[in-house]
Amino acid sequence: MNRRTPAPGIRRYLNAVNLGGLAIVVLSTLPLYWMIASSFKGPGEISAAPPSLVPESATLGNYAEAFVRNGIGRYLLNSVLVASVSTIAVLGLSFFAGYALARTPLRGRGAIMTTLLMLSVFPPIALVVPLFLLERQLGLLNSYAGLIVPYVALNLPFAIWIMRNYLVGIPRELEEAATVDGAGPLRTVLTVIAPPARPGLFTAGIFTFTATWAEFLLALTFNSEDGHRTVPVGIALFTSQYTVPYGTLFAGAVAATVPIGVLVMIFRRSIVSGMTSGAVKG
Amino acid sequence: MNAVTSSATVPRSPAPPPAGPRTRPVPRGGGPARVSRRKRARTGWFFASPALLTIAAVTVFPVLFSVVLSFADVRLEYGGFRLLSLTGDHYAAVLSSPEWRHALLFTFGFTAVTVLLELVLGTAAALVLERLGAARGWVLAVLLLPWALINVVAAQLWGYLFNGTYGGLTWLFEQILGHQPDILGQPASAMGAMVVVDVWKTTPFVAIVVLAGLMLIPGDVYEAAEIDGAGAWTTFWKVTLPQLRPIMAIAVLFRILQAFGIFDLPFVLTQGGPGTATESLAILGYKTLFQNLDIGRGAAVATTSAVIVIGCCLLFLRVFRTQADEGGRA
Amino acid sequence: MALRRRTLLAGGLAAGAGLTSGCAGKPLDSLLTQAAHVPRTPATLVWWVSEIPSRNGPVVADLIIRAFERRHPHLRVRKSNALSTTDGNRAAVTTQLAGASPTPDVYLGDTTWPAQFGANSLALPVQTLLPKDYWSDYPAALRRVSEYRGAVYALPFFTDNSFLYYRKDLLAKHGLPVPRTWEELLRTARRIQRAGDAAYGFLWQASVSESLTCNVTEFLADAQAPVLDDAGRVALSGPGAERAFALMREFTETGVTPRTVTTYAEADSQDAFTGGRGVFLRNWSYAWGNAADRSVSKVAGRVGVVPRPGFDGDGPRGVSCAGGWSNFVNPNSQHLGAAVAFARFCAGEEAQMILLKHAGVIPALDDVLTRPEARRVGDPTLTRAKELRLVARPVQTPYYPQVSKALYTQANAVTGGRATPAQAVRAARADIRTALEGRAL
Repeated sequence: MNRRTPAPGIRRYLNAVNLGGLAIVVLSTLPLYWMIASSFKGPGEISAAPPSLVPESATLGNYAEAFVRNGIGRYLLNSVLVASVSTIAVLGLSFFAGYALARTPLRGRGAIMTTLLMLSVFPPIALVVPLFLLERQLGLLNSYAGLIVPYVALNLPFAIWIMRNYLVGIPRELEEAATVDGAGPLRTVLTVIAPPARPGLFTAGIFTFTATWAEFLLALTFNSEDGHRTVPVGIALFTSQYTVPYGTLFAGAVAATVPIGVLVMIFRRSIVSGMTSGAVKG
Repeated sequence: MNAVTSSATVPRSPAPPPAGPRTRPVPRGGGPARVSRRKRARTGWFFASPALLTIAAVTVFPVLFSVVLSFADVRLEYGGFRLLSLTGDHYAAVLSSPEWRHALLFTFGFTAVTVLLELVLGTAAALVLERLGAARGWVLAVLLLPWALINVVAAQLWGYLFNGTYGGLTWLFEQILGHQPDILGQPASAMGAMVVVDVWKTTPFVAIVVLAGLMLIPGDVYEAAEIDGAGAWTTFWKVTLPQLRPIMAIAVLFRILQAFGIFDLPFVLTQGGPGTATESLAILGYKTLFQNLDIGRGAAVATTSAVIVIGCCLLFLRVFRTQADEGGRA
Repeated sequence: MALRRRTLLAGGLAAGAGLTSGCAGKPLDSLLTQAAHVPRTPATLVWWVSEIPSRNGPVVADLIIRAFERRHPHLRVRKSNALSTTDGNRAAVTTQLAGASPTPDVYLGDTTWPAQFGANSLALPVQTLLPKDYWSDYPAALRRVSEYRGAVYALPFFTDNSFLYYRKDLLAKHGLPVPRTWEELLRTARRIQRAGDAAYGFLWQASVSESLTCNVTEFLADAQAPVLDDAGRVALSGPGAERAFALMREFTETGVTPRTVTTYAEADSQDAFTGGRGVFLRNWSYAWGNAADRSVSKVAGRVGVVPRPGFDGDGPRGVSCAGGWSNFVNPNSQHLGAAVAFARFCAGEEAQMILLKHAGVIPALDDVLTRPEARRVGDPTLTRAKELRLVARPVQTPYYPQVSKALYTQANAVTGGRATPAQAVRAARADIRTALEGRAL
């Protein structure tokens, strides 16, 4: 890089990189600001043309309506339940499976990893029809288990990938020491491998939680009954007497996004490492 | 689990382990214990089976069932369903349907355009992020927000921005163009709108993956290029990009497979419209199933989509021979 | 290892084989026996009902529920959130019903659903539970659409008609009469638009949805062009049909209707009209109450309503699509007897009088419309309903969704300027034929 003396004042910051960073920030947050601002606009203002940049008469009415009339509180509870249980189950199952693929001499490991990679992005529409009929016969539609089991199965592949890539990096001496002490595989894994694997678990956990929180097609098909709807379905099916209730909808959307946004901010390092682990470590 | 523990525990006393073709004798007096390879493999299967069985139960068997359904005449009954005759009618109808062909073309086209744009913009964003100093952490955090947004919510938000009567972007375009644009009402602009939303939402993913790749490139490669007198652009093209190729390949593979199954966005933003302009394969499958209540035909649409996805994936893997295979055999 | 894999595969195949023969359902007779009497034990019903447009404030559905609960003290009814657009509603409730869910017990559905829902076992056939002369109290057209192959799947609730709404003040300002033909409407609208008094001339619904099918059916009836013939085969063709499609294009081409109408459902057109942006509006009866409501409408007190115009010449005037919503009974309900009783209550006099007094819709019970209260309510959509010529959509086929899709896809293309009227008519005809043969996706 050429060394130039930095220009005085603000010029010093006006280079391509900083402008690029600014562009990233603006493009990412401007639509989000619009959503939050709109959630405070009353019905007259929200369908006004030209639109106002800042709400002229801010109101909490939309939030009241979202919670009281549209029952988003119920949808949030459903989502929290389904996402949490799915995440815990995925973490448990993927931890052991990841260890098995990382450490034990399984035949066909390569094929399994490749298959898991394909399954992690399998189009859900292909599963909707048969799962719908199966769950219908088993009476699992409009229940929590009816969503949790598919969610666990669909999020396991990626979680196993993450856990495996993470566990490969844990030194073998730890295990061998435990085995010498007489610990069986189960105890070894739980006492010796699990603690250093925590970052990997966080990564798999945040990915699973985000994915199950936002999942739409299966939730729409299986849990369309009002008492069991999750947040994405609730928001997509928001009702009102005459119009698309954008104000109420955005109020509900903000209520649904804040928790996941906070989680993502807290666990952002885990997310980054998760996105790169597959790519980097192979 | 108890069986595993007891059979795999190596006894402290110098008693010989259970016989087996590949067991090695336990060294006396301590030292690293060696459990038989077969036992360890069995442990591995025990550990992995719950997960693999769950996955198989929800993906493999249903997909096979779906194939059966797609060849049958399915009738819904009160609380049950019946498979009447076996028939190839569904596939005949699907493959000869202009609507299905359009959905296929649109899905492929949409995938190609969005993945390409995300690759370009994501790489640009990654380059910026790499060179940012103190601000990098914050910019990265902000970049994750669109990624974290629920798909359905993002679609509603942009649907509002593109609304024909009072949308913010519609107003903006009106000021520039002089007349009110009909963004979601004309096929070309509706497709464009969908591309914009998808790119906005998923570029962060590509950017982060490429950033990881960039950070792995050893510094001496750049020094060598500088010594040779390469300019910024040449350095990027001839030095950086080839190093990034494997990582970009993985990111592209993931994105292609995801984009192929796109459902949430067209469902909320355009409902597949105007007409059937933005009807992806997944939307077509859903409509066939729940608007027309044609289970057999919906299964045929879904199965053809799955076959195409799997085919593309295998093709891609063979062409690029990515680290996925190599890493798996490690 | 090989053994385990083989056992897994065998187990899977066995399970799969069991499912391929299907899973038996319940026989109809047992369902009907249950449905024939109301149990004495307490029960709670779930009623899937979208917002019934209210003319003066009270939530109409709640009034009806309370009246029913007074009659049957051991039964309770709970509302379930439903959407107000017919297409979204159908997909959402279909998913539940096809999933053999026991709720909702009773659901409000479009009058166009009986054929498709009956054919797919999503609604209980109730003709054996009704007295022989049941339908003499209700419009004959409603009876026809509620039946499929001789079985009745829908119980009457309310019908809906479409009208032309107009801005009294703008017409008076320019000294223009209320148009009686489309050609006159185009001229009137353009004059007012050019004078700068309104952004849009005529607002209607042209989005790819059932709303557009209703509009198209009306325009086709104006031009006296049928969609299906008496034998149920496609008859859409000829100068009449092309005239109807050409009219839709003329609206957007001349700027009388904004291009964005191709994304309009009822809500969007209503929004624009009550926001003061349009001179004329085609919409259902509910629009009257909504436009007169000062809390949401900027044009309250300045709106008039008449039957829709016709074409120049001696064609029909005042055509309206026969719309409306009826109650259906979920055959998987756990409380069939109570559900049927509730659905019949909604069609009975007490509930129909509640609709008359408080709802911006037209009660299905003929007798109610002739009561003195009807005149006192002061809603012209009620009193002028008998002037209308009702036209039915081609709903007698279980493939109606595909037929409707064929119509609205082409109509949307014409309105958006992407097809000529002749092309659109030809394409619609071909698509409808494919749909009727069951070959459409």
